[in-house]
Order: sequence, then structure tokens, then C-alpha cells
Amino acid sequence: MIHIENLVKRYGDLVALNHLNLDIKEGEIFGLLGPNGSGKTTAINCLLSLLKYDKGDIEIFGQKMTPDNYEVKQQIGIVLQNVAVFDELTVYENIDYFCGLYIHDKNRRRELVEEAIRFVGLEDYRKTRPQKLSGGLLRRLNIACGIAHKPRLIILDEPTVAVDPQSRNKILEGIQELNRQGSTIIYTSHYMEEVEQICTRIAIMDHGRVIASGTTEELKKMIKTGETITVEALLLTEKQLQDIRNLPHVFDVHYEDQILTLRCTGAQHNLIRILNYLQSQNLTFGRVFSELPTLNDVFLEITGKQLRD
Amino acid sequence: MLHLIKYNLLVKLRNFNMVFWPLVFPLIMATFFFFAFGNLNDADFETVQVALVKESANPVFVFFLDQVQSGDSELIALHEMSEKDALDALSQKKISGIYYEQAIPDLTLNGQGIPESILQSVLESYENNLHTLQTILKKHPSGLLSALRQMSDTKELVREVSLGGKTIDGNSQFFYALVAMGCLYGCFIGFGSVITLQANLTALAARRCITPTHKLKLILSEQIASFLLGYADVIVLLLYLRNILNLDFQGQFGKMLIISLFGSLIGVSMGLFIGSLSRLNEGIKIGIMLAISMSCCFLSGLMNGSMKDTVEKHAPIINRFNPAALISDALYCINVYDDASRYYRNLITLIVMSAALVLASFLLIRRERYDSI
Repeated sequence: MIHIENLVKRYGDLVALNHLNLDIKEGEIFGLLGPNGSGKTTAINCLLSLLKYDKGDIEIFGQKMTPDNYEVKQQIGIVLQNVAVFDELTVYENIDYFCGLYIHDKNRRRELVEEAIRFVGLEDYRKTRPQKLSGGLLRRLNIACGIAHKPRLIILDEPTVAVDPQSRNKILEGIQELNRQGSTIIYTSHYMEEVEQICTRIAIMDHGRVIASGTTEELKKMIKTGETITVEALLLTEKQLQDIRNLPHVFDVHYEDQILTLRCTGAQHNLIRILNYLQSQNLTFGRVFSELPTLNDVFLEITGKQLRD
Repeated sequence: MLHLIKYNLLVKLRNFNMVFWPLVFPLIMATFFFFAFGNLNDADFETVQVALVKESANPVFVFFLDQVQSGDSELIALHEMSEKDALDALSQKKISGIYYEQAIPDLTLNGQGIPESILQSVLESYENNLHTLQTILKKHPSGLLSALRQMSDTKELVREVSLGGKTIDGNSQFFYALVAMGCLYGCFIGFGSVITLQANLTALAARRCITPTHKLKLILSEQIASFLLGYADVIVLLLYLRNILNLDFQGQFGKMLIISLFGSLIGVSMGLFIGSLSRLNEGIKIGIMLAISMSCCFLSGLMNGSMKDTVEKHAPIINRFNPAALISDALYCINVYDDASRYYRNLITLIVMSAALVLASFLLIRRERYDSI
């Protein structure tokens, strides 16, 4: 459905997109995950033909994407990172205005606007101006303006930034529902939990290129970490720390402020093994956690830095 | 297209900057102007209160004062009283002066001002005419009363008219300059429109640019809505001046509407052009816009009535291209000169300038892909 090949975008000496390659299939919820400045939004703006790029090809629905390819634009819905609505228009008028840029039939548009309002749960705010909406409701309006015309492809660029948990859940559920109704979704975020929760396939971006892509499971299998164990309120000597480093399947040990963090490969019984050792040393300790790897671990292991800078 | 124009108009009508500056502010200024000097030509002076103290009989002087008092102008009000009461009243400022009735009348004043000048002037008038009266008294005593009446009945024998035969109100130029300001302040509407059309400036513009609606259609709908609103604002101002403040425009109102149409075109076009310029900060652009529009209005005589003439004397080229001067001059043409060629020359200059600005802004904002966002 979307094919991006060898895309290069430079801002002077800064390379924002460095030979970016992406393929997105119809029906996917495709997550573009990366820290701020990794090139996600630049990639989206190039995809939409808003930005000039230095090199590469972009195809959407099998057609080359250009600023005047109105046939392709007709089938795209966009929810930008910054809320883009008219402060002077009410909720209903905003959705009607943007829907009207795609749908010219008045009656059809009225139905679609009502449907979009119901979809984002803004029934009680039809005549409310954006300034009077909370951050979460405003984001929902932003989404409604982008999806009212029932596009085949919906691009959501960090739609949950600065949104309360309740609205965030509503937005994420809505995105999954849109996907069930047949829309392909491109979802950019630096919140790995969201991407992990809703995306069927993910590309992790850094420095303007994709450093890994696949399903969540596929990405996690790419890295060495299979389990992360944390033990709190523990006093250890240097010898004991060395013994722990030598335990089977442990490949990284971090000890600071009486908190021990171990990263182990995906073998079984790692937790039992560390607990047995602590018991054998007659050591007392507080809480113990065992966590499966997250996308942050994937990012950390591939790039050597945290996803959230 | 109608869908776009409808919502563009709604957005502008609900936007503070697009309503206050082009519409409300000129109305407020018009009201201030009206109260400041709108009635100067009909200036009404309060009748001057003056005491008459009898010292020795001078019936001619008393008759002269009676004639002045009973005239249409109600210039003075005489109060006969004793000298003591008169001096008390003068010190308490209940009266402005004291006439002493005697062979050679005298006047006592307690300060300087218009009332005092009037009393002095009345006395001088009596003295100037005394010789004539004495001659009449000697030769035709029966005609004395008639002569006195004629002397107090001053007639204005000279009337100021324009070349076109219309009366000139010296303050009308302030209101013409104000209409020009109303037209130029349409730049706020044009500016607000163009900001929402450039994807590199606002997210709202980016969202509009990636829809299947052609960019030219978006630009055109914004320009039409801006011109409509800018023109409507100026019409409201003209109606307010004519129907609420009752200013007497001598020329045809239809022609004034035509001037306002092209005036609002130049105002909105100026806003479109400044809004299209590079990636300057929005505040800086507004500052530039205000500076240009206010300078144009200042040079056209909004703050100083003689400014336009001064410019005409020292740098006439400015008046040929200053849109505010062109608008106020066109209004002056139909209301005072009745000079058709000058009127059309002003209109054509406004049209050419508007077209140039619209074209330039269109070329600046028509692009669909940006180097950076």
C-alpha cells in the first residue's frame, strides 16, 4: 500500500532522513517508533508531499505521491501532532469544514460529521468552541477532523501527546476500531507502551532511518535480553556482585543505591537461580521484580540509549 | 467553493483581530473625531453676561447695547445693577465685564478670554460707529433708530464654496482620512487569511494543504471572503458616519461606495502580501503592517489636517502612491472638487496597486511543497 524507497531529506548539514526504506501493507496498524528528532514527523510530511526531499521515491496505493495527486489525497486522513482546528468554529463546524474539503455532497457530509462526533464521543460538545475543551477532548476533535471522511489510510502523528489517561485509552480504542472498519493506520509515537498495545507491525527509527522492524514479538526476539530482574534494598559486597555476574544466562549487572538490576537471556529459571544465590549468602532484601523485555529494551540494546531522552 | 467561503467568513467574523481593527476601531475613532471637532462649524458660544452701571445718561449707547442683546446671535445679556453689586458679581465671575453708561462709555474686565474679547469688540464697534451716528443725529435725527438697527444687523456677504459649487467643511478631511484608515485596516483580515494557507507557518495550514481541495481554490476562497468582509466593514463605517453621526457628505454615496470597494481591496491586499512574506515572526509582521498603515494614514492627514498639503508641497510622489492619500483624495474629489479625472486616476492607481499585491502574494503562497516545516 505504501512504499518508501531510499528517502533522503537534508536540512543543511543535518540529515533528517537517511535512506529511509519502508513498506506498509493494507489493513495494518503500523507503528513508527522513535525518540524526538528521529525523523518520524519528517517522514510523514514527505509522505504527504508537504516537504521537498532530496532523494527517493514514495508510492501510495501504487501511485507516485505528488502534491497534485488529488486522487490519492482524497483517500488519506491526517491527524497532525499539533492540534489543527479553527478556534473560531464550534466542534461541529470544524468537523464539517474539514470533511467538506473531501466530501461535497451536503447530506452525505452531515451523516459523516455526526458519525465522527459519535465516534470520538463529543456528542455533548457540538456547539462548543475548541478553547473551552480540555486537552483530551481537543485531541479527540483533532482526530475527528482527520477521519470524518472515512479515509482508506489514516496517519496519526503523536495523537496522544499531553492527553490524560482516560482520553488516551479512548483514542487508542478508537484507532483499533477504525482499523477494524477497514482503514490502514500509520501511528507515530515515542510512547512505546501505546505502540506495543495497538500496532500490528512496528518500525523503530533513529537518526532518520529504520533500525529495526517487525511485530512486537519479532523485535523482542532480535535482542539478547529475555528477562530483566530487579532486587531492591540489598547490600552486596564486590565479591558477591562478581558471583552474580558469573551466574548462568546473566549478561549485564547494574548495582546502584542498593538496587540490583540483572539482564538475562531468555532462558528459564533465572529468577529462581538469583533467589537461591541470595539465600545461600544469607542476604536480606526487599521487593523483587521480573520483567519481560519491552520495546525500550529493544531500542536500548540496538542504539545504546533510552527511547525517551 | 461556497462551503469554503461560508466558513472563511464565519472564522473571520469571530476573530477578534479581524473584527476589532478593521471595524470597531474606526467606529470608535469616528465617534471621538465627531465629539472632538465634528461640530466645530456650528460652534455655539454661551451668551456673555455683562453688567450695566449707570453713571450718566447715554441713551445712544444703551440703545446700541439693547440692539446687540436682542439680536439673533444672543451675543450678550445685560444686567442693570449698582457698581458695588457689579464689582461683586465680576469678582465672583457671575459676569464677564461691566459697561459704564456715561458720555464716553467704559468697560471693566476681570481677565482675558473669548467673552471678554466679545465685550471689548462690542464697545469698539460702538465707538467706531459713534461718529456716523452723531452725523445722522445732526442731519437726519429721525433716521437714527433705523441706522442703529442696520449697524447691529451684520450680514455675512462672503460664502466659502468649492470649485464644484459644494460647501467646504474644514473637518471633513479628517473623516475622509478615517475612511481611508478603515479601508487600510482591512489588512488585518488579509493577514489572518494568508497565515492559514502556508503549511510552513501553522499546523492548520498544513492540514488544509494535504486535502484534495486544490490550493488555488483555497487561496481564492480566502481572498473572496477577506474582500467581502473588508468591504462590508467600510460600508458599516460609511453608514455610521452618514446616518448616526449625521455627517453631510455632499457627493454621491454610490461613488463613495465605489471608492470604499477599491480602498478595502488595497487594505486586504496589503495584509495578504505582508502575511505572505518569508518566515518572519507573526508579531513582527503585524508590527510592519501597523507601521505601514498608520504611516499612510498619518501622511494622508488623519492626525494633522495640513499634512497632506505639506506632503503635496514637498514630496508629491508620496501622495500619488500612498493608498490612504489616494482614498481620501478620491473622497475629496467627489465631495468637494467634482474632479472626475482626478477621481478616476486615484481609483486606477488603487486597482493597479491591489492587483500587484494580490499577484505577488499569490506567487508567494501558491507553492505546495516546502523546504522545511
